[in-house]
Amino acid sequence: MEFEPKILGIACNWCTYTGADLAGTTRLKYPQNLRVVRVMCSSRINPSFIFRAFQLGADGVLVGGCHPGDCHYNTGNLYARRRLAVTKKILDFAGLEPSRFRVEWISASEGNKFAEVVKEFTEHVQILGPQTKFKIAGVS
Amino acid sequence: MTNFKQIEENLKKEAKKLLEAGSVAVVLAYTKGADEKHPQPFAAKKADDVANIIFNEYCNHNLARYIVRYAPGTKIAVAVKAADSRAVVVLIQEEKIKRENLILLGIPVSGMKNQKTGEIIDEKTTGGLTNPVVYDVLLGEEIHTGKPVSPYTVLEQYEKMDKDARFAFWKAQFDKCIRCYACRKACPMCYCDPCFIDQTKPRWADKSPQSHGNLMYHLTRFQHLAGRCIDCGECTRACPVDIPLYLFHKKVAKDCEEMFKQAAGMKIEDKLVMVDFRVEDSDKILE
Ligand code: SF4
Ligand code: SF4
Repeated sequence: MEFEPKILGIACNWCTYTGADLAGTTRLKYPQNLRVVRVMCSSRINPSFIFRAFQLGADGVLVGGCHPGDCHYNTGNLYARRRLAVTKKILDFAGLEPSRFRVEWISASEGNKFAEVVKEFTEHVQILGPQTKFKIAGVS
Repeated sequence: MTNFKQIEENLKKEAKKLLEAGSVAVVLAYTKGADEKHPQPFAAKKADDVANIIFNEYCNHNLARYIVRYAPGTKIAVAVKAADSRAVVVLIQEEKIKRENLILLGIPVSGMKNQKTGEIIDEKTTGGLTNPVVYDVLLGEEIHTGKPVSPYTVLEQYEKMDKDARFAFWKAQFDKCIRCYACRKACPMCYCDPCFIDQTKPRWADKSPQSHGNLMYHLTRFQHLAGRCIDCGECTRACPVDIPLYLFHKKVAKDCEEMFKQAAGMKIEDKLVMVDFRVEDSDKILE
């Protein structure tokens, strides 16, 4: 059977989540491997969420926020960018493939981009295979 | 090489002066421990205490650790070595203490030794610095070794490791952790109450010393120290099972310096990189 990755999506309410809605209402097709959690802003994302997601069995984590400059709260995503860049470096130095974690800026009008990114990221994680390094033994 | 006897004398002299004049409530310094190799941090509160102050090559403790224990507004004098002074700078940036409430007794260091192994620690930790970056009184001559060492050269062999090997390396290291939290206790930047790892809502990780809880504790701690760790190396020296935490902290510090063009705790006017941004920050850092 083909490997179906589990991907956690964390999307900001104002841009990426709305973009996902648009992808839905325009009936765009994208892989169903993504499970989306909505947060009010990408800067709401505690980096520990990412570590924890990998521990609880995520094969990939995709964070979506507004384009820099478009944040609903003006600067949230600019802080998030710095913070999550560090998270990515930490994953890398700890020995996890950093490309299992991706941050994308997707606006409310970019339903197409949302579908594209999900498709492309899912395929990428599929090639990487199951994430076993951080996963706690026994979680499914 | 630091003249330890001279520093000790000057430290005593300054401490005495400050306490007699009542210009500070406490002088943070070192005193004798079980033996010469194990000095202890010491808070001198009256002029009589000064006789107990010592300074030698094993006085590694970062005394900036103790500043946050005193009520805001307390006047404190602290003996700071090169790395310790950077910790003080970060504490000032984080508004844990005001510069005007501090008297910094700077100590130029070269030839400090690890209490456990006796090896010289200068080039491994302390950011390659010998002189404090900020001080009010310097207790000895400035030291210039001539060859500035990059604090990051020790990282090379780990950076070029293959990912799986690096994972195996860190897993073996973190699996040794007994979760005594001595690393957190020793770190001048770890003052949160409660620490995320002690929280129960949410419960971020298991509290028992098992692989996954250990991994969560350490990775999150590295993240929380991003742009704040000043490479004093105390976490590593405090660790009873010798986990080389400093390597990971150095790596994060190096990445931060490359991405944000600023090392932690060098200038009081700097803003901490994690609570700052530039509109021109590039998305490249996320690649
Ligand atoms: S993490 Fe370690 S090296 Fe960094 S400031 Fe804390 S004790 Fe010092
Ligand atoms: S000091 Fe060492 S054993 Fe103790 S919690 Fe820190 S890393 Fe673990």
